[in-house]
Amino acid sequence: MNGSENATSLTCQTVSLVVNGTPVTREIPAGQLLVDFLRDELNLTGSKEACGVGVCGLCTVLLDGVAVSSCLLPAACAESGSVWTIEGAAALWNRSSLLPADAPNPALFREVQKAFLECEGMQCGICTSGQVMGAYALLAENPQPNAEEIRHHLAGNLCRCTGYESILSAVKLAAERWSDRK
Amino acid sequence: MARSSHRNGEVNPLAVTLNPPPAPDPELSHLGRVDGHLKVSGQACYTGDVKLPGMLHAEAVRSPYPHARILAVHTAAAAAMPGVHAVVTGADIPYGPYGRSVWDTPALAREVVRYVGERVVAVVADTPAAARAAAAVVEVEYEPLPAVLEPAAALAPGAPGVHAQPWRYKNAAVTPADPANLQSRQVWTGGGDVETALAASHRVFTHTFHTQTRHQGYLEPHICVARTADDGIHIWAAHKAPYSLRARIADWSGTTPNQVHIHPIFIGGDFGGKGDFGDIPLVVCLAQRTGRAVRMRTRYSEDLMASNPRHPAAVTMRLGVDAHHRITAVDVQALLDGGAYAGYKPLPTVNLAGVADGVRSYRIPAVRVESTIAYTHTVPRGHMRAPGSVQSVFAMERMLDMVARELGLDPVQFRADNMLQDGDSDALGAHWLEVRSAPVLAAVRRALAESTPLPPTPPGAPEGGDWVTGTGLALYSRHTHTGEMEVALQPGADGTVAVWVGFPDQGGGQFTMARNVVSESLGLPADAVQVLQSDTDGLATDSGAGGSRVTVTGSEALTLACGKLRRRMQETLGDTWVTPATLAAFADTTGGERVSAYLNYTDHEHVTSFCAQAARVWVDRSTGQVEVADVISALDVANVVNPASHMAQIMGGIVAGYGDALLEDLIIEDGKVTAANLGDYKLPSVRDLPPLPVIIIGGSKGIGRQNIKAIGELTNVAVPAAIANAVAAAVGVAADRIPLSAETLFAALHPEEAGE
Repeated sequence: MNGSENATSLTCQTVSLVVNGTPVTREIPAGQLLVDFLRDELNLTGSKEACGVGVCGLCTVLLDGVAVSSCLLPAACAESGSVWTIEGAAALWNRSSLLPADAPNPALFREVQKAFLECEGMQCGICTSGQVMGAYALLAENPQPNAEEIRHHLAGNLCRCTGYESILSAVKLAAERWSDRK
Repeated sequence: MARSSHRNGEVNPLAVTLNPPPAPDPELSHLGRVDGHLKVSGQACYTGDVKLPGMLHAEAVRSPYPHARILAVHTAAAAAMPGVHAVVTGADIPYGPYGRSVWDTPALAREVVRYVGERVVAVVADTPAAARAAAAVVEVEYEPLPAVLEPAAALAPGAPGVHAQPWRYKNAAVTPADPANLQSRQVWTGGGDVETALAASHRVFTHTFHTQTRHQGYLEPHICVARTADDGIHIWAAHKAPYSLRARIADWSGTTPNQVHIHPIFIGGDFGGKGDFGDIPLVVCLAQRTGRAVRMRTRYSEDLMASNPRHPAAVTMRLGVDAHHRITAVDVQALLDGGAYAGYKPLPTVNLAGVADGVRSYRIPAVRVESTIAYTHTVPRGHMRAPGSVQSVFAMERMLDMVARELGLDPVQFRADNMLQDGDSDALGAHWLEVRSAPVLAAVRRALAESTPLPPTPPGAPEGGDWVTGTGLALYSRHTHTGEMEVALQPGADGTVAVWVGFPDQGGGQFTMARNVVSESLGLPADAVQVLQSDTDGLATDSGAGGSRVTVTGSEALTLACGKLRRRMQETLGDTWVTPATLAAFADTTGGERVSAYLNYTDHEHVTSFCAQAARVWVDRSTGQVEVADVISALDVANVVNPASHMAQIMGGIVAGYGDALLEDLIIEDGKVTAANLGDYKLPSVRDLPPLPVIIIGGSKGIGRQNIKAIGELTNVAVPAAIANAVAAAVGVAADRIPLSAETLFAALHPEEAGE
């Protein structure tokens, strides 16, 4: 199990991308995964790492507006791209300067956060970053999803604690409130 | 990581912030759970987010064999790799084996390996990648040895011993006279002699049931950070019982508890699996050896392969009835696989208390339960949500259905005629303040009667299936456990009150419970109460977040502390009126006095909670596929401190039970866990779930001034039996093994085609 195929090459490469609206250029170990790049190089530890095989959804971030599992993606594949993590999205409400064009909608993101809090769509919280990012990505694309669309979209975000009921309620509540505002 | 310090200098995970700290978000911080705003913003700090200056990273080299002699370990090539600080073998570990009760588990294997995935060598390097690269060039020479992989074989005369002299381990529960591979044997009896009663019975039924090895499924794999300092060793770990961890690490490493400091941190899920020690003893050794902070993060595949999953069991039931269909006697023989080490079990019995639970819900004049746990050359087993209970309840509740059908009785009425009633002591002699079996069962029966009949096929089923429907029910009763803890209240000059607790919040909402109890007891608004988890230097002791005991014990201790604070305010201010102004005055007058309360909660009424669950299913006879239409749960509860967290415990439990019944199987082949990622070990996702209605039967009598019954381990236990009973009712197979995979059901339905 510690065969050479698992050995990580120690050669380096340079990546340039935009993270949470800020251009970043870093020398990183070749093949470094986006989740490790965010957590280890940029200290953005809101995105969590668990299954490592793209099943659990804890590492969900937005890449060019699309929810992706950052544990499956080498950071180099995000070259020239724009990544938003939960820290970046959660800080937008307090941002006085003009938002970057690809920034998440702060008002929608806030509705998602509030709904998760009011419905207690969390317990231990280790999956919550991914759930919130996944729910935001759904509502950004489809502001009025039906119950089946919500279940389909969130199937990639596992939660062992809640039994999902409160998470589903949170996404429905956020969708309702968002529709009312628009 | 920047840390905000507090008035007494301790660190609070609720305020541990990332770098740079975000601006506080006033619109979110008052909503929901006390930790909710941190969790929806990515700011809650877990062990994996801890970054200490100069922190190194450790990687384990693990055994590829279930049993082998270690002939040689070649570390020179790894030690010469760039960035490597240490390559450590079992011979370098200065301490003996470790354990929660019996000390049989080495930090690194020495001389022999006893399961696939056992840690043999640890490599410490500047980065995780460097550690991993160096671990890959460590060469270990093994001589494979015969392995015992099943408990029955392990206990047979002449089986190879997993341990040479297991009785010599500290706190061992066996003697040299026992079979070589016995971990422990526990017997519970109640009423008359079982053999006599069975012999006198009108009819006696026998059947054996099987439950699988199951991983707890927490989504944060085991992780630990440790560093040494002048005042001893400091530990951050995904561990739910900081004070007992401190005591054991101190004892094991030959120091005193005040030289071990467990720091508060969020825990990313537990379900019984975060009470174990995991890599912590090893990381302590690595930190001591390197003089640096060391982190070891288990990859999920490693956690599946080599942590402490649930004990699989073969449970043989013998059940007698009289001519009036009343149960006369029950004999339970449970044989459990404990794996290569027994050190992950915390009880002095080195057994699982829940194995006795199956018989507790019924009137049984003579009962005997025997639980035998064997060493095998497989992954060590540990605690999982209601340890031992699922195994025994599955067997008992399936058995009752089988017996009812043999007797031509309605299985629900058979239960109603035999179950414990208010005023009874249970079959093992425990007496409960109340027995609310009747209203709980009645509620589920009523709900079933009022349900819309199922259509002949499940919605969306493809053409061509051969679907039939079935309904099954199961009961569980769980007594409320209590513990020991100190808590403290500290009014501040700003008119708020800090609540210091020693228990972590592994997700169950314990911090929010603490806020709600103090805010209600003192009559303060919620935002005037700040809950802080102390490190292990700050309070005397705490039992930790296990056994569903935190709310019942913590609410009582906090209520006592609130009473003491009022008395202290009376003494110092002449006034018990608690307002921000009087709290500030108290803080000012006393110089920030902390008022603490210690509770070892043994003097209380004994209460049990009943839960009845009914499942309705479709089964496709042509494929063995099971579709669950719904699971209806009714349960009795007392006071609820936080309804949202309480309901989440209920729902999370039901869904965990659903996974147990149908999906989750930590498959072990030739001694090796082969379900080694979350694609193969399938946790329920939101798409899997049917409607799961819950009926709360309130008004129970709970424990203490807050009138509490535990909830965390009530609703997961009977679901597998309910679903299996429904499947058996639908297609008439034994359904005596979980998970109920389509493959096993197909084989049972089509024995002529099985194996093709």
